[in-house]
Amino acid sequence: MVSVENAVVDVLSLTFRFAPLYIFAGMGEIISEKAGVVNLGIEGLMLMAALTTFVIDVISGSPYLAIFGALAVAILFASVFGLLTVRLGFDQVVTGLAFYLFGLGFSYVLFIKFSSTNPVALFTNIQPVNVPLLSRIPFLGPIIFSQNPLVYISLILVLAVYLFLNRTSYGMRVKAVGENPVAADNMGINVNRVRFLAVLFGGITAGLAGAYFEIGFLQNFQFDVIAGRGFVSLALIYFANWGPIRALFGALIYNVVDAAQTEFLFVAGPAFQTSSQLFAMLPYLFLVALIPVFGRKARPPKYLMVPYKKR
Amino acid sequence: MNSRGRKAFIIILFNFIAVILGIVSGLIIIYFAGGSPIRAIEAIFFDPLSSSSGIQQIVIRFIALYTMALGIGLALKAGLWNIGAQGQFTVGMVMVFVAYVYLRYLHPVGLFFVMILLATVGGMVWILAPAILRIKFGANEIVITLLLNVVALYFGTYMINGPIRGSQSFGYPITDTLPQYLTFPEITQGITYALPFTLAIGVLLYLLVERTPFGMHARVVGESLETSLYAGINYSRIMLITMLAAGGLAGLAGATYIMGYLKHLDAGQFGTSFGLLAIIAAMLGRKNMLGIAFSSLFVGYITIGTEEMAVSVNVPTSVVFAMEGIMLAGVLLSTFILERTKIGTVLLGE
Repeated sequence: MVSVENAVVDVLSLTFRFAPLYIFAGMGEIISEKAGVVNLGIEGLMLMAALTTFVIDVISGSPYLAIFGALAVAILFASVFGLLTVRLGFDQVVTGLAFYLFGLGFSYVLFIKFSSTNPVALFTNIQPVNVPLLSRIPFLGPIIFSQNPLVYISLILVLAVYLFLNRTSYGMRVKAVGENPVAADNMGINVNRVRFLAVLFGGITAGLAGAYFEIGFLQNFQFDVIAGRGFVSLALIYFANWGPIRALFGALIYNVVDAAQTEFLFVAGPAFQTSSQLFAMLPYLFLVALIPVFGRKARPPKYLMVPYKKR
Repeated sequence: MNSRGRKAFIIILFNFIAVILGIVSGLIIIYFAGGSPIRAIEAIFFDPLSSSSGIQQIVIRFIALYTMALGIGLALKAGLWNIGAQGQFTVGMVMVFVAYVYLRYLHPVGLFFVMILLATVGGMVWILAPAILRIKFGANEIVITLLLNVVALYFGTYMINGPIRGSQSFGYPITDTLPQYLTFPEITQGITYALPFTLAIGVLLYLLVERTPFGMHARVVGESLETSLYAGINYSRIMLITMLAAGGLAGLAGATYIMGYLKHLDAGQFGTSFGLLAIIAAMLGRKNMLGIAFSSLFVGYITIGTEEMAVSVNVPTSVVFAMEGIMLAGVLLSTFILERTKIGTVLLGE
């Protein structure tokens, strides 16, 4: 029999394993949307980053090199996205979908090409790190402080983004170009440069999310591995009203539901095999059901999705 | 040529060039993936037209894309994005078999129409939550319709594994094949009466949207909520109607796809990208109900060609997605050139 306490620890520790994916993607998207640019393309970008991580890791045996590779791909993608949407003022939604489709197809083409020459793929992982002292705290220790190092980095990132947006003048500029680009321009802020850099940051963290997906759990690749998780990240920051701390809690709550249904199916086993799809729907429906509760007061940046053209 | 005709011609020409550019970039990917680009071009443009089965495939794809793109275009006129057509299409396909399994005792003719109706209602239900959340709480419909695509995938997979799994499926996740009297009768060469049925709906929507005040109201709502308020337009009502129409049409597309072509349902049908392709068609047709007819035919032709190409030059079929992405970017580029640059101003004479 599985004890209740073990199950709870399992669920919560799974939660902290799942959550960084959404935290990485979400933090970058918060910055990018605060500056006025929605990037639906992060789903495709995450797929490309995950593929890059997988390939470089298998070839070189170094997960760290793989992360750098993923970041390079992410920067390339985000730069093109920024060029099209910020400099040229393309429709952000459609450009995002184009990037999604491209990433969806191209990542798998690359994977097939790669696996035809490397049929046996050995993935080198980053081992979980026990934080000294903290990991020995009963109950909380194994949940939070015995994780992959990237999990800790994701938590630090939340704090960094929060401080950046609320305590620095650069953060003020990001918010200014999303709320009122004309006034920001009059104050001497280069609106499109700030927006471009915000998109670039969003791309980099989405790249980290894709890399974490490989290193944190999958260690393999298949068609459409990200399976809408990038889109979920977009939804999560909406409910968080573009607040980093609230987005962290949103990601945790969402992942508790996801981890709970995963654990439940694992424990309950074959009895629920046929209805496992119904359980998989739960986290998404939960998210939609939360909108009237938390989304009511959500107020997007005023010039979200509106390209700026200097007069 | 009058100025309106000239304008339409230039827009079509530019979009055509955009898609060709997308294909050319795609050929680079194909070359990289180890296929022959020359054979690929041949396969994309000529293979679909060189056999009656190719033409049948184009017509079937056209029917699905056209029905969905009409709804997406209509919602876009009112400034609303339906990225969830894929999910609504899936639910529509599932609902056909829900009706078939649970309402089998109905009179066949009645059941035929109930199947179409239920699929349409299913699509509407699938878009109801995003529509209400958008209208009541101002919640972004893009993200929610996207999420519901994923939910529809799970829902469909559950349904064909359980409630609507066929009695002769030997435990495989596949439905029974619909009997002939519950499908659209064939006209010729695998083309069924689903085609005239869809065209009739297209004409109806063209008249409703491009020729009545309703379409103009939708456009005003899409331009600015404030303007529509001053003009005395009930914008909540317009938004609700256009969203429900978009969902319903995507559900309907699911019904005509099953009843006019496939006749059964298996998990492979959930992995198509028809919903996203319909967005490309709606954009290419510039949200115009007549333009969408031509763009859907074109997108259908190109994607059938691309899929056949992937098989015949032996590259992974997912290359199709990558090429679609580039084509979409090409369409945006042509819109940009026409609307924002000097070349566009000169050509369109604005």
